[in-house]
Amino acid sequence: MTQRQPDAVALRGIVKRFPGVLANDHVDLTVAPGEIHALMGENGAGKSTLMSILYGLSRPDAGTVELAGRPVAFGSAAAAIEAGIGMVQQGFALFDTLSVTDNVIFGAEPRRHGLLDRRAARTAVGALVERHGLRLSPTDRVGDLPVGLRQQVEILKLLYRQANVLILDEPTAVLTPAETDRLFDVLRGLAAEGRTILFVSHKLHEVLALSDNVTVLRDGRVTLSCATADTDRGALAAAMTGRAVELDRIYPVGAPGEVVLSAQGLTIRGHPALDDVSLEVRAGEVVGIAGVAGNGQTELVAAIAGLRPLDAGTVTLGGRDLGGLPVRERRAAGLAHLPEDRAEVGSAPGATLANNLATGFQRRLARRGFLRPRAIRAHGSAIVEEYGVRAAGVDAPMRTLSGGNQQKAILGRELAHDAPVLLVEQPTRGVDIGAIAQIHRRIISYRDAGHAVLLVSAELSEIRALADRVLVMYEGRIVASFGKDEATNEALGLAMAGGAR
Amino acid sequence: MRTVLVTLLGALVLGAVLLAATGANPLEAYGAIVTGAFGPDGIQDTLAYAVPVVGMATALAVPLRAGMVNLGGEGQLVLGAISAIVVGSHVPGVLGIVAALVAGAAAGALYATVAAVCETRLGVPLLVSTLLLSYPAMSFAAYLVRFPMRDAGSSLPQSEQLPPDVRLPALGSVTVGVFLVVAAVAVFAVVDARTPAGFEARVTGWGPRFAAYAGIERPGLTVRLLACSGGLAGLVGAVVVLGFPYRFIDGALITPQYTWIGLLAALLAAANPLGTLVAAVFFAALTSGGFAMERATQVPRELTAVLQAVLIIFLAAATGVLRKRRNPA
Amino acid sequence: MVDAALFASALGALAPILFAALAGALCQRAGVFNISLEGTMLVGAFAGVAGSWYVGSAWVGVVLAVVAATGYSLILAVGHVSFGGDAIVLGVAINLLAVGLTSFLIRTVFGTRGTFSDPALQGLPDLDLGGIPVLSGHSLLVYLSWLAVPGLAVLLYRHPWGLRLRGVGERPDAAASLGVSVTRYRYGVILAAGALCGLAGAQLALGNVTLFSENMTAGRGWIAVVAVMLGRALPYGVLAAAVLFGLAEAFGFRLQGIGLPQQATDAAPYVVTLLALFLSSARLRGRTPT
Repeated sequence: MTQRQPDAVALRGIVKRFPGVLANDHVDLTVAPGEIHALMGENGAGKSTLMSILYGLSRPDAGTVELAGRPVAFGSAAAAIEAGIGMVQQGFALFDTLSVTDNVIFGAEPRRHGLLDRRAARTAVGALVERHGLRLSPTDRVGDLPVGLRQQVEILKLLYRQANVLILDEPTAVLTPAETDRLFDVLRGLAAEGRTILFVSHKLHEVLALSDNVTVLRDGRVTLSCATADTDRGALAAAMTGRAVELDRIYPVGAPGEVVLSAQGLTIRGHPALDDVSLEVRAGEVVGIAGVAGNGQTELVAAIAGLRPLDAGTVTLGGRDLGGLPVRERRAAGLAHLPEDRAEVGSAPGATLANNLATGFQRRLARRGFLRPRAIRAHGSAIVEEYGVRAAGVDAPMRTLSGGNQQKAILGRELAHDAPVLLVEQPTRGVDIGAIAQIHRRIISYRDAGHAVLLVSAELSEIRALADRVLVMYEGRIVASFGKDEATNEALGLAMAGGAR
Repeated sequence: MRTVLVTLLGALVLGAVLLAATGANPLEAYGAIVTGAFGPDGIQDTLAYAVPVVGMATALAVPLRAGMVNLGGEGQLVLGAISAIVVGSHVPGVLGIVAALVAGAAAGALYATVAAVCETRLGVPLLVSTLLLSYPAMSFAAYLVRFPMRDAGSSLPQSEQLPPDVRLPALGSVTVGVFLVVAAVAVFAVVDARTPAGFEARVTGWGPRFAAYAGIERPGLTVRLLACSGGLAGLVGAVVVLGFPYRFIDGALITPQYTWIGLLAALLAAANPLGTLVAAVFFAALTSGGFAMERATQVPRELTAVLQAVLIIFLAAATGVLRKRRNPA
Repeated sequence: MVDAALFASALGALAPILFAALAGALCQRAGVFNISLEGTMLVGAFAGVAGSWYVGSAWVGVVLAVVAATGYSLILAVGHVSFGGDAIVLGVAINLLAVGLTSFLIRTVFGTRGTFSDPALQGLPDLDLGGIPVLSGHSLLVYLSWLAVPGLAVLLYRHPWGLRLRGVGERPDAAASLGVSVTRYRYGVILAAGALCGLAGAQLALGNVTLFSENMTAGRGWIAVVAVMLGRALPYGVLAAAVLFGLAEAFGFRLQGIGLPQQATDAAPYVVTLLALFLSSARLRGRTPT
């Protein structure tokens, strides 16, 4: 009888506590060599904590970590890297001002006479690029690369350090469907070589497509651990949330009225840019902008909101030209905005919930020139109540709320303006499945109340669920337009990658 | 509160070590500071020192609330003082007093606005523009009292005395100007906590990008806050020269370090209006007590400056630890 | 008006600012906003004079200046990197502490007030480089400051440490996840900056003149901070900015010679720097911490 190969990675009984929360509650996870294993769970379920422990960025309070059958205790990421573990984090750990080569060798530089041996570095990197069929040049500046290639640099870093265990955190968050397929091919190739792949994801269809085995965490505990072939989307979603969840609900189209928001020939020079973008949004309609992040969507919304100047083009709201008007006056004219960056732009994490919700209403809540604290708190409490925001009172600091509750609060604040036009960016990024449905319902009912909504999202399922019409942006231009029924994953994916319709 | 007390203790211990190392008796020295600051004679000196420090601390706290640092307080202070002298020398009576105060505030406000415009229109960071403009302002005043405005009867770089009818009435060791400063603190406190304008400044302090997204216009806010800041600093300068010795003496507003101590107080209190007041008074008491300590024990008065700086350093470190504990990376 | 002596004196005045500016640039590259250059330089100046006085050798003074200033920079290192204290608050406090401390010490150690100078105090000798006009006749530290510029460039761009500290400055979280210790590199740059400020102080108190007077740094540390911003924390950019300031200061002294009051020439360097900032204003927009 042949000796069974030891597991490449084995986490047994991992416990990790943070003040006020048990992030990992006796978690077990075993992965065989050459296996692709998916780790799923909502935000706050404990996935990132578990992977940090494996990668040496934090230590467990109890439990053991084994690598190839031997117990290890990493004091730092450097130790884990040394042992052959590599991690690609969600935000990418790349230095935009440095070249591909410098990024790859960072922390493990080849030296000659004490100085950097750039030639050796370039050769080594070039060889790896060849061998794995990556499309990079060692001297490219990483900041200039599109997202799909940036991710390849991340993988290159792991290969350069001869990682046997690769951890990828939400690897497809910013990829087009085609880039995702390419990534999966690369990963399958690496697994075939005997390397072990662990990837964290909340995307059900990808987990089902790529992984051999899957483990689901909820509230710090393992709720499901099995072969991927033995499960399905419903079971996975239920294991993540603890209840039956209605998946991929598609809302019916609204009843559009007059054109409320109109943009003509919007242009911003530079990189990334806007190239002669025109669109219209009617009252009672949701127009969705699909596209991979970085193709001008952020610039488009910023230009309409007044946060960035245009080089050419006009924006009209209710017939009024917004040209040259500052943000304050655009909002007064009837614009509300839920921004992409919740922490830096949409809120002040250090301030109280009440103050966050009062921002934008400070003049309205004042009487004879003076603010009334009671009115501020009442305003905040009303929003909290209405939108089901879970917080320890309106005087709690904003940062103590979970991502989903923060987003509900911010949405509540923006909807409270009752503005004719609502700009919404990535409304459910980093939000739990339960809260996602609530937020979607709110947006739809806002539409049905006769408002115009412009929605930008990187989640195709969200666009397809909410939008009455879908526009696809690519390299700063609108390259395709679809009605609700025509907006299939295939058609959208093709347009997003530049193959216009 | 507990952190403040612990760091205060730490600073005192360190100061005691320094004293012992130079052959002085720490207890004697500290005792002299306290009696010097709050004793029957000392309290007058403390008050006299506190008025400009509180004034400058508040002046610098106004823009600091929105996260903007005005490093040009000294220049604005000095320009305010010299403008007050110019106007006060030519307008008699109570009208002269009022005009001098207004001129001082206006000069400081205008000069600070120049720095603000440097940032909003020319992209020069406020930190830099205010600092760089401060030195020429001080040089200009130094020039004025050595040449055109020089006191003919003396060899010192100072202006002539203001006429007897253009002086603020005394109130012990201070003048009625103290009420102006107190009023300024009160106005700041009310505006900060209870008006939309104060709210907008605080929002900008919490998050500049959040504020911009919410419609708060930064350039206008910058100019308004800096104008108030410079105006208050200029007013402080005017108040000081309208009191004894009723003239502008080159360096007299700089050497006591009113501005830097005021800045430390504002930074310490995170620009909170009342917190800044308390911190400024505390530092003023400490400094004034230091002078008395030197007279009584021959320990150099700079010890109190050392104590203040050490206290701030310990507090900054402690605040940092608290912040890290709340946001584990 | 504009002659060799002007440039020579500009070069002499340049060295302290250049050392301090390089110190500030190094810290900036690793993500540390170091405005304590003024105070650290002052501590170096005092220690330099004390060392030279008690041992009778200017070079011992230089060594003591470097040691003292490096030790002094531990305050910022520990307070900011280990404890997470705000760099601006700490910087202002460290500068004020230096003024108070050195004034306290000049009383207790030297028994005087204001200025300590003595004919027996050993200053740094001027080196004669074969009598080349302008370039000859400066102290060794001045020449060292010029060498420090390409030295910093090599460190930043050709040495692994330089690559790592640039990464730490650009994205500390990314650097940490790749096993590079942010704490270690930030401590390193702050202490190195301390040493450079020690050299600056030594040149100031033992090279340009031979005395210590209270607050003798007179804003040079702040000018160094501005030079770092103007030069965008690049070694040669910072050199250009510092040269500009040195020239403006020397030119200011010349203006005095033709009858302008001293105060006008005092103000000249700051005005010139402001003008330079106006001209390069667009480039500055990205880089400044708020």
